[in-house]
Amino acid sequence: MRIRTAVALFLFAASFVVALKAAKAESPTAEALGADYFEIFGEVELETTLFADSPQFAGQDRDDFSAAIEPTMLVEWLDGDLVFRFTPFARFSAQDSRRTHADIRELKLDGDFGDWSFTVGADTVFWGKTEVVHLVDIINQTDQVEAIDDEARLGQPMIRLGYLTDYGELSAFYMPYFRERTFPGESGRLRINPTVDQESPVYDSDAEAEEFTPSFAVRFAGSLGDLDFGVSGFHGLGRDPAFLPSATGLQPFYEIINQAGLDVQYTYDATLFKFEGIFREGQRNLQFREENFVAATGGFEHTLFGIAETNADLGIIAEYAWDSRGNDSLSTFQDDFIGGVRLALNDEADSSMLLTGSVDTNDGSMTARLEAETRIGENWRILAEGQGFFNAGSGTNRSPLADDSFLRIKLKYFFGG
Amino acid sequence: MSTEPIDDRTSLSARAADFIIRMRWAWLALTAAMVALSLAQISNIVPLNPDARIFFAEENPDRVALDRFEETFNKNDNLILAVVPEDGEVFDPKVLGVIGEITERVWLLPYVRRVDSITNFQHTYAQGDEMIVRDLVVDPENVSLEEAAWAKATALDRIELIGTAYLPTKGSAVSAVQILFTLPGVKPEVEVPTIVTEYEALRAEIEEKYPFVKLMATGGIMINNQFSQSGQQDGQQLFGPMFLLILLIVGLAIRSILGTLAVLVLIILSALGGLGAGGWLHYQLNSVTVLAPLYIMTLAVASAVHVLSACRQAMVDTADRKEWVRKALTDHMGAIVVACVTTAIGFFCLNFSISPPFRELGNIVGIGVLAGMVYTLTLLPALIIFLPIGRRTKRATSSIMMEKLGEFVIANRKMLLPTSILGVLALAIGISQLKLEDDFIRYFDDRYEFRQHTDFIEDNLTGVNNLDYPLHSGEPGGINNPAYLKEMSDFTDWLRQQPAVTSVRALTDTIKRLNMNMHGDDPAYHRLPDNYEEASQYLFLYELSLGYGMDLTDQIEIDRETVRLSVFMARSTTAEMRDLTLRAGDWLQENAPIMQASWEKLYPEVPMITPTGIVHVFNLISHRDVRQMLTGTLIAIVLISGLIMLTLRDVKIGAISLVPNLIPALMAFGVWGYLVGEVTLAIAVVLAATLGIVVDDTVHFLSKYAKARREGKSPEDSVRYTFRTVGMALFVTTLGLVAGFAVLAQSGFAVNGDMAKLTAITITLALIADFLLLPSLLIWIDKRSSSMTVPATATAAIALAIAGAAWMFTTDANAETPEEKGRAIAIEADKRDLGFGDFEADGEMILKDKGGRESRRVFKNMTLEREASELGDLGIVVFSKPRDIRGTALLTHANIEPNDDDQWIFLPAVKRVKRISSSNRTGKFVSSEFSYEDFGSQEVDDYTYKWIKDEPCPTEPALMCFVSESYPKNSKSGYSKRISWTDQNEYRLMQVDFYNRRGDHEKTLQFLDYQEYLGQYWRAGRMEMKNQQTGKATDLLWTNYKFRSGLAESDFDSNRLKSISR
Repeated sequence: MRIRTAVALFLFAASFVVALKAAKAESPTAEALGADYFEIFGEVELETTLFADSPQFAGQDRDDFSAAIEPTMLVEWLDGDLVFRFTPFARFSAQDSRRTHADIRELKLDGDFGDWSFTVGADTVFWGKTEVVHLVDIINQTDQVEAIDDEARLGQPMIRLGYLTDYGELSAFYMPYFRERTFPGESGRLRINPTVDQESPVYDSDAEAEEFTPSFAVRFAGSLGDLDFGVSGFHGLGRDPAFLPSATGLQPFYEIINQAGLDVQYTYDATLFKFEGIFREGQRNLQFREENFVAATGGFEHTLFGIAETNADLGIIAEYAWDSRGNDSLSTFQDDFIGGVRLALNDEADSSMLLTGSVDTNDGSMTARLEAETRIGENWRILAEGQGFFNAGSGTNRSPLADDSFLRIKLKYFFGG
Repeated sequence: MSTEPIDDRTSLSARAADFIIRMRWAWLALTAAMVALSLAQISNIVPLNPDARIFFAEENPDRVALDRFEETFNKNDNLILAVVPEDGEVFDPKVLGVIGEITERVWLLPYVRRVDSITNFQHTYAQGDEMIVRDLVVDPENVSLEEAAWAKATALDRIELIGTAYLPTKGSAVSAVQILFTLPGVKPEVEVPTIVTEYEALRAEIEEKYPFVKLMATGGIMINNQFSQSGQQDGQQLFGPMFLLILLIVGLAIRSILGTLAVLVLIILSALGGLGAGGWLHYQLNSVTVLAPLYIMTLAVASAVHVLSACRQAMVDTADRKEWVRKALTDHMGAIVVACVTTAIGFFCLNFSISPPFRELGNIVGIGVLAGMVYTLTLLPALIIFLPIGRRTKRATSSIMMEKLGEFVIANRKMLLPTSILGVLALAIGISQLKLEDDFIRYFDDRYEFRQHTDFIEDNLTGVNNLDYPLHSGEPGGINNPAYLKEMSDFTDWLRQQPAVTSVRALTDTIKRLNMNMHGDDPAYHRLPDNYEEASQYLFLYELSLGYGMDLTDQIEIDRETVRLSVFMARSTTAEMRDLTLRAGDWLQENAPIMQASWEKLYPEVPMITPTGIVHVFNLISHRDVRQMLTGTLIAIVLISGLIMLTLRDVKIGAISLVPNLIPALMAFGVWGYLVGEVTLAIAVVLAATLGIVVDDTVHFLSKYAKARREGKSPEDSVRYTFRTVGMALFVTTLGLVAGFAVLAQSGFAVNGDMAKLTAITITLALIADFLLLPSLLIWIDKRSSSMTVPATATAAIALAIAGAAWMFTTDANAETPEEKGRAIAIEADKRDLGFGDFEADGEMILKDKGGRESRRVFKNMTLEREASELGDLGIVVFSKPRDIRGTALLTHANIEPNDDDQWIFLPAVKRVKRISSSNRTGKFVSSEFSYEDFGSQEVDDYTYKWIKDEPCPTEPALMCFVSESYPKNSKSGYSKRISWTDQNEYRLMQVDFYNRRGDHEKTLQFLDYQEYLGQYWRAGRMEMKNQQTGKATDLLWTNYKFRSGLAESDFDSNRLKSISR
């Protein structure tokens, strides 16, 4: 553990130095690539995660210390209509070898030509409107070892073709390769028990090389006045697996699913009303039985601008999430109320804070989550992220996390640009 | 990505080959069915549609304008019939007699609506108080010498006759009879030819009867006729050589009469398939698509030759015909399918063209090529088995030349690579020499009599090309308004001074003449009447007296709101015409307020008064098409290179393949630029069409190379192997294609000719690139074993760069009450900034606190103007510093008060676009002293105004400023009022004081370092906002203004925010 901590510190220091150099070095000129614009920028990060309680399961280490780097190379042609982006990502974790991982977040060519646009390569695409639960979003796999709030995602290889109409954009996605979800290992925390055997997933697919099973998706997203909406369809391997108990742990079980989704936001003055709903067929539930289901989430966010004669804005968030599979749902949000406040100070350091809490109305388990961040100087940013799990005893669907309340602090250095 | 061997499909190909051989009888039946199906549809496609307007799609906005115009003023199908007397004098009594006879007799042609000539020209003069209107030559058959001399003197005195069809610019050597037709348009393929046939008969009779005159004809009728004739001639004259050529090349390549016959059958059936599909799609043949069968046949030969020559190799080993076929299909099926599919994709991408004939050509050829593929894989094998094709047991003389070429390339690759890159660059620079020239008269080369006649008439009489201006007066009867007439008269004078303009037909000439006639022919009254009533009365009188068929309906709209003004130009280039159009638009904007205002009311989306006419639509078509086809071509590139990558199962080699696929077209354009320069709209579609064709060679070359590499050969040996196995076949098929397109290039119709020539050049260069550049490149890259090349460098070279600029505020002038004056100042300032289109600028905000500490925000700003006053502008701000908010982008669709703007924000960390509330007007923009309200777009109707006084500008005391107050209409505004200083010269905002809701002076904003862009739009380089109460300040610096940088509404869609955020 101490050696690993030292390694993490060393890697951070090394990438920091490299980043400093990269930021100052003369980048290869854009002309060499025939490009209009060329740039390398990115961030390096030092992170520590402190857990309030001792681990629940045998083999788990207590705390984590880690370093990460995420540079981006950007090249533009045709006045920015043709863009190449390459963003690799790597993290070294002292606690969990599975969390020590690398990914290509982006490696893509984006083209915008009038009403047509395309993307070829790995990319991250977000669909949806709500704050906490993302039902409609399905293109990218979740990078679960990176963060448990579904906000970190793995780059998805794709060919996307988009056509812009007066009311919005119609996009078609062809995804030739499937990304498997990452799961914490034996020594990692924030996991279920037994551990998920990430290396040997089972596919319910006929394809020879199963991870090459293609997925397809279409989406129409646009706006009509104050109404923003998206309608989407997906066919392919479901991103969230069911689990198959085996000798080595739980094997992720990926199946071919069909999903239809709708997401809507109505903007009324300072209040945003949000809704997302999906219908999915072809997937097994927590009991490993196939069950078609409907899930929905929705709510509002109201912002009070300039509270107490200051520049700060205070947002009030309330959402509810529901899943027709009930307790057999693979998601922890199946009948949950979510409330929160977002405070943006609008100061020079762009400080902000988001506090959310959710209650499962079936079993009464609760979580509370805090995200706060501010800038230090020109190039540094510090972020704190905490999550508490309460009333999550055995029998509740958050019981594996009962002892995993944590505080995570990240220090990021931004370079380039 | 996996690099499995391509041979893993041999089992599949072998099984497919077995199936094809087993089912050989079925293919004959299938062929019969397909042929029957094609024949059933093919009758729909003939006869040829002669209309020149087929080049304009229904949705083409220029065509829409033309149709609208013709609804008002009748469709203009004319015939200009020039009478050329041999002694060079029109006003000779016997020549006048002939003209008079023609004027009478052409009434007997079908569909005639109106006939104008020098003899029936409506001459006006005064007789006492009366105005007389009569034919210039009353009785042409019995005209006396004196009458002829009088007519000459009178006619030469009338400016409206000079440089028109009536009389040349100088002298009187030629005159034309102009005939206008109203075509029913029921059977376009019959109507025009009937007119022309009857005209030809008349011409023969007249020329025989009066040997001292010659007749020449041009005009819309003749043009349309030429479109159909040249199409038929192309069809008839090119088919023969084409067949011979195919026979020759195929015969030489496979040395078998029966084999050649099989190929002939196959390509004819393929062409039938394409035409049948065209009929099924309800296409009617036209001068472009008439060549589609020739394209199909040229392209279909290649696959057939591949199969036959493979059979030729197989027959050495066995006498079993089925074995020949099995071997040939197993080895070549994959490559043939890829080759045909890529070719078809390339042609299908012509659907992006705005010109329907090219879309139709793309679909017919694409389907024909696919039909050819089906026949090659089914019918041809069956024929080989059934026909008694003789067996040969000697191997074909091996291609020693190819092996030598391979060795040469390997030995000299270090020199070849840089040399060819230099060569490519040198040629590609020639692209800058390309000029888009679309003159449909000069689409036809001078082998055609029509072109000779037209050239003669343009050189000796008048321009055939005319631009028509619909000049709106804004109200029914408004054309009699003296101010409006003055604008028209001035515009006419201005036009007559422009180079290339031969004449202008304007109503004001007639009115001036009438005014003079009504004042006893006093030359002092040759000017516009002083008032509405006079103008209206004169015109009324004149119209009452006009002869039959001589009315003014083709010049004046029925409710007298609009007048048509025609500008004739001779031998002017597309660029000249476009330039004239723009300058005329500018002139009208500045000097013709009535016409400009009426135009803006009618067509708010088109800022300039724009002419119409077939010429004008052609002028714009290639510009529009080049842009459209860029998209089509890029899609073709993506699809085709994706297909190659899939086929070769190798991303790297697939990416390399882009080089020999794309650069030949660039080089071909360059060669054309150096050698010719002018190019028709055909150029836009060439890249997409050739891409699919040149890919074939590359696929064959690369698949053999990849195979050799996988077998463990060194890069050099792999190149040797490739040259040995496919070198000769590539050479022969390419030769066939080039020869085929060279035949097509003989078309006298420039659109077809240019397209075929460019294609032939491209294919030739592609073979050279495949033989010289590609091997060197492969060896070099494989030796370095580096990763993918960047294909986009090549695509970047064909990009179009567009220009741009703006950001805006308010103010102006001569109104009575302070409120009106204040608003007028705002409107004038807004108006002066109107029309900037779009602009980009880099912004830097320096936030200063009381103690002088600074922090910075750097961002890029993009703005697109929406001209309709009920729509606000569109804006995007993308931050680059501080670095942790880099990429954060804010999109605003401004709305007019009291509606909130629509705003979206892109958060790069989660790649998410969120619609946000924009009701926060008073909040500080990125914690600066600017509020969202200050930073948002400012529309005139967001405020009410009051002018206070004039005084020297606070920031530049040398200038005088208007000082006015403005009061926000929206109650959510953080201000009770603003006081603004606007300079009186340029209406630039110099300073604004902001008063908060309590009425206290809160902030002061000063605008400094103004610069003028595009000679019209002023932008401050620096804005300083000081908070009077807290002492904080924010400086906003603007640099790198780029106006009209080509931003479009699509760039301002929330779905695009992610890709624009950087």
